[in-house]
Amino acid sequence: MKKTWRFRLAMLIGKMAMFAQKVLGMNATYFPGKLAIRICPDFLGQIEKPPMVIGVTGTNGKTTCANLIGNILVDQGYDVISNKMGSNINAGIASTLISGSSITGKAKHAVAVLEIDERSSRKIYSYIQPQWVLCTNLFRDTVTREAHPEFVFQLISESLPAETKLVLNADDLISSRLAPNNDRVYYSIERMPSDTEVCENIVNDMRLCPVCHEPLHFEYVRHHHIGKAHCEHCGFASPASQYEAAVDMASGVMTLEGTTYPLMGDSVFNAYNILAVVVLLREFGLSGKKISASLQKTQIVKSRYSSEVIDGVEVVTHMAKGKNAIACSCVFDYVRKEPGSKEIVLILDDYFDRKNSSENTCWYYDTDFEFLADPSIKRIIVGGVRAWDLKVRLLIAGVSEESIICTPSEADTPSLVQLDADRIFILHELYLTGAAMTVRNQIADRLRAGERQKKGEMPHDH
Amino acid sequence: MIIEVLYPSLANLYGETTAIAYLRQCLPQAEIIPTEINEEPAFVTKPVNMVFLGGMTENTQELVLEKLLPYKKHIQDVIERQIVFLALSNAMELFGEYIEKEDGTKIQALGLFPTYAKRHMDVRYNSLVLGQMEGFKLLGFKSQFSDSYGDNSQNYLFQVLRGSGLNPGSKLEGLRRHNFMATYLLGPMLVLNPAFTKYILKLLGAEVEQLPYEASLQEAFNRRLAEFEDQNTRY
Repeated sequence: MKKTWRFRLAMLIGKMAMFAQKVLGMNATYFPGKLAIRICPDFLGQIEKPPMVIGVTGTNGKTTCANLIGNILVDQGYDVISNKMGSNINAGIASTLISGSSITGKAKHAVAVLEIDERSSRKIYSYIQPQWVLCTNLFRDTVTREAHPEFVFQLISESLPAETKLVLNADDLISSRLAPNNDRVYYSIERMPSDTEVCENIVNDMRLCPVCHEPLHFEYVRHHHIGKAHCEHCGFASPASQYEAAVDMASGVMTLEGTTYPLMGDSVFNAYNILAVVVLLREFGLSGKKISASLQKTQIVKSRYSSEVIDGVEVVTHMAKGKNAIACSCVFDYVRKEPGSKEIVLILDDYFDRKNSSENTCWYYDTDFEFLADPSIKRIIVGGVRAWDLKVRLLIAGVSEESIICTPSEADTPSLVQLDADRIFILHELYLTGAAMTVRNQIADRLRAGERQKKGEMPHDH
Repeated sequence: MIIEVLYPSLANLYGETTAIAYLRQCLPQAEIIPTEINEEPAFVTKPVNMVFLGGMTENTQELVLEKLLPYKKHIQDVIERQIVFLALSNAMELFGEYIEKEDGTKIQALGLFPTYAKRHMDVRYNSLVLGQMEGFKLLGFKSQFSDSYGDNSQNYLFQVLRGSGLNPGSKLEGLRRHNFMATYLLGPMLVLNPAFTKYILKLLGAEVEQLPYEASLQEAFNRRLAEFEDQNTRY
């Protein structure tokens, strides 16, 4: 494509903005690209892309997958650029490509791994045609932005370039139906001991057949609409999978095509992320052996999960993405299934809404707070301006009133923890990670000061 | 008492499933009939006391209209017999004249109210809403790809104190005829508004002194109301 003077000006200004932000110690994640697109609306079309482009999209897990794919490719010696430090909308991707280009707009890297926001699909795929797009899954997400899965499904489906090969989850009955005319491979996980025959979640957006609207028959349900199903009325069914993995949670490994991979976590969500990454890279051309070797050296970003045993108590921080009923439900399910007694600190306020608005909390009512009405959970301490709304939701879920403690500020939660359980889970919104770490540190300080033993609680072995 | 929940596997986008679970806790003796999309509505053959319909996708709106249009006379009859009917979120649009898509094509709706909806799929309209309904205040949330127009001055559900009504230029929200109530407010409005829940129970002849967890509901409502009434709160 011939480069216009607008493009050249946009590239120059974008580079200057990037330089200025670096000098000021700021992450050049969004602004340079935004400026460039404002000057040259088809900037993404004119900028040269690396010869190989991998797109990663989906409701949950796209950041983890994109980071893992980038890390493994770098470990295998590829020259990679990615937006892992930046935003996943068109301006963020423009910033990434600016940083990976010469001033004349020539690509300096061999591979681009781009995390792509679902809602930005139209603005991105109009100009960038990835060879592969991995869609991890499609679920309900933030109601005020993503609306509902069908909306996002249509948006992606209509935007994906016809030449792009899709890597899709056969166990996800929504995303597996994306862009039906595109070339594709499917991955899935074999039946697991934790699978059920009936959906335990409030939300299952595939209860009915999408073709004839009769009830779908699930052979097994993993969570929400994830599982294997068919329609006894019209024959609609989960697609056949080319990559079917066996997952052994107890051993922390996944086996695919005879190769073993580390799971790097003990949640089903995580197992799907690892499988998705492996399959994408197998399609890219890497051997299973090489992928496995690189995975052994990689870690998942720590801000999403941390664990430390202090004075016999395991203190865990776990991100529970706010306004995302599915992600929170999976975290609650994970917590209830962990062994031993637990205290929970819930910090779920929307960081932005609480500054100057009032959070739309309809997502609480799609979230399985019922999982927290578990005998192993001794106490739930809710911190934040929405603590009383969460209390109502917990009561409807069957949590006893005596075990719910509300405080308007998460800063007060550490002093309300009783230290009488085997585990303390601090479940927090993404943008309140810093606050959650402060809470964690204060609880840790209390444990290190021996408060548990002063109260007569005996330490436990883990 | 019979409460019919229309199309619970599809019309459940904004927390309606738990709202119905709460209604069940309020009315433990009630029989709740879930009617799926390929089934005949219970109100056609059974003496239902209440019908509930929640928010749905735009494609589902069209499917639901296809299913409900043959029962238009029955729905009119339900309304005239003063049976409680609560339609939330974009379910309200089904009871107007039509829904206009962005390309100008019109989807015929039930035509029970002189209103019509216009979709704008590129713009998600989100807002808080504070309203006054008879003797109590109502609060809730809107999140939608459409607005409604037409005259609801003779049959609105509540007056809007802050936020908007049928469309950004309106201060009259929802539709009301006898005990038929429809509003763009999202699914958990019963849980968010204990006074409204009591009002519904009274219409059902199941007046209670105390709702389940009423003190907690009221505390949450009071705190939320203070935010909604704060002039610095962004709607």
